[in-house]
Amino acid sequence: MREVAIIGVGSTVFGKFPEKLPYELGAEAAWAAVQDAGITPKDLQFAYCANLYGGMVIGQAVLGEIGVTDIEQTNVQNACAGGATALRKAWWDIASGLYDIGMVIGVESITTSPIAGKLITPAKGDISGELGMNMVARFALSQRRYMDVFNISLEQIAKVSVKNHHHGCLNPYSQYKKELTIEEIINSRPICEPITLLQCCPSTDGAAAAVLVSRDLAKKYTNTPVMIVASVLKSGDYSFRWEDMTFSDMTYKCANEAYEMAGLGPEDIDVCELHDAFAVNELQHYVELGFCKRGEEARLIEDGITEIGGKLPVNSSGGLLSKGHPISASGIAQVAEIVWQLRGQAGKRQVADAKVGLAHVAGGEVAGLESGAVAVHILKK
Amino acid sequence: MKTEVSFKEGLFEEVSGKGVLVGCRCKQCGKVIFPIRKVCLNCLNRDMERLNLSRNGKLYSFTIVHMPSEHFQPPYAIGWIELPEGIRIFSQIRGWQEHSLKIGMEMELAIEKLWDEGEKEVIGYTFRPTLNRGGT
Repeated sequence: MREVAIIGVGSTVFGKFPEKLPYELGAEAAWAAVQDAGITPKDLQFAYCANLYGGMVIGQAVLGEIGVTDIEQTNVQNACAGGATALRKAWWDIASGLYDIGMVIGVESITTSPIAGKLITPAKGDISGELGMNMVARFALSQRRYMDVFNISLEQIAKVSVKNHHHGCLNPYSQYKKELTIEEIINSRPICEPITLLQCCPSTDGAAAAVLVSRDLAKKYTNTPVMIVASVLKSGDYSFRWEDMTFSDMTYKCANEAYEMAGLGPEDIDVCELHDAFAVNELQHYVELGFCKRGEEARLIEDGITEIGGKLPVNSSGGLLSKGHPISASGIAQVAEIVWQLRGQAGKRQVADAKVGLAHVAGGEVAGLESGAVAVHILKK
Repeated sequence: MKTEVSFKEGLFEEVSGKGVLVGCRCKQCGKVIFPIRKVCLNCLNRDMERLNLSRNGKLYSFTIVHMPSEHFQPPYAIGWIELPEGIRIFSQIRGWQEHSLKIGMEMELAIEKLWDEGEKEVIGYTFRPTLNRGGT
């Protein structure tokens, strides 16, 4: 198996862009990644494009805009884990020796999608959805129990949102650049109690892209490649609903496999982007990713350990909460942030001396299962 | 009077004048599953027996929802109820305005109207705080 490097990343600014069609957002990110990598579009041998709501073969429209045609292109859908899934597939296409250089793109435009402003109705046959379940409620149910059984306070959960919005203020790509207080978060409109509006990620338009190459080819373009040292993707299990619904078994398993694959442990991680669709998720993921033992997660946020400047900065980009969450783009946007951090190009939000970074996403509601997919990638400079 | 229709066939039935949820138990590993499945989700065995589930359980978690759904206007309550068979049932929760919900409280099954659909009343299962056991 060959080693795989990322030599270029790109992203659009995240936000609401009703005037931009999905392929335009995608092309902007793809072109930024091409320029960052120092390649020409014609160097690309294959591409994966992750998207949920943009319609058929959007990847071809995206790359057609920058003049990339006549190559193997695959479109990927894995809900919020779509971008990370594209990355995982591209990693394997190079690791296996099939290709030497390719691109991954994640793009989502909620504003121009058919679901804009509409109620998301449950899938046919989804009994829970018919009975009033939704994506926020699913995590509100976990949060209620987490707070009551494990003595986590709403203030501690709100602090995650305070931290990530502070980080977002330092990121030019972020949808929100506004400091929030614990009181503002707790007193914002209730969505599914105890989750209030400012504990939720926003709906977002945006795109991100990355150029992947074999280690040998990387030398042609750069002296500072970022290596993908672990790539793991897993589907959900029924066991979650039978056991502890405050603990993501999928994340725990993915993280453990990723650490084993990389020959690293949680103590080696210098910077992390994780799936904070709701503020509570971040505290729970600290435990599942091995950053602390259960019962210690609140201390990580209370003591500033996961802030920029702390020992293990988490969601330096602002995370999904502040940077925004363009569904299929998030997994690649996270990796772009890690690449910038490892190269020392993260500007005001730079984490000092970061050498190893971890990216984690989870996505998709399936009746009975924990989630559709979880992915963990570990990058190293 | 409106016609009553079941929310989905095969989920519940009436036994001695009271509604019960109908699940199944794996004859190989004993796992109890709701609704009925042909295959055990735990051990993949395909020999399942029908099982009427307990009408009473404990509240595992709950939320008051403030966003609209296809069939329910906010605010409404939903939650997971843990039954003695070791299975959790996702359900609408009724009676939450009168009796504040608390994790661990005793809950009881009811078969009642879920929503109206034109001239029809859609009937399904809900859980309510159990009052005659000193429920808080």
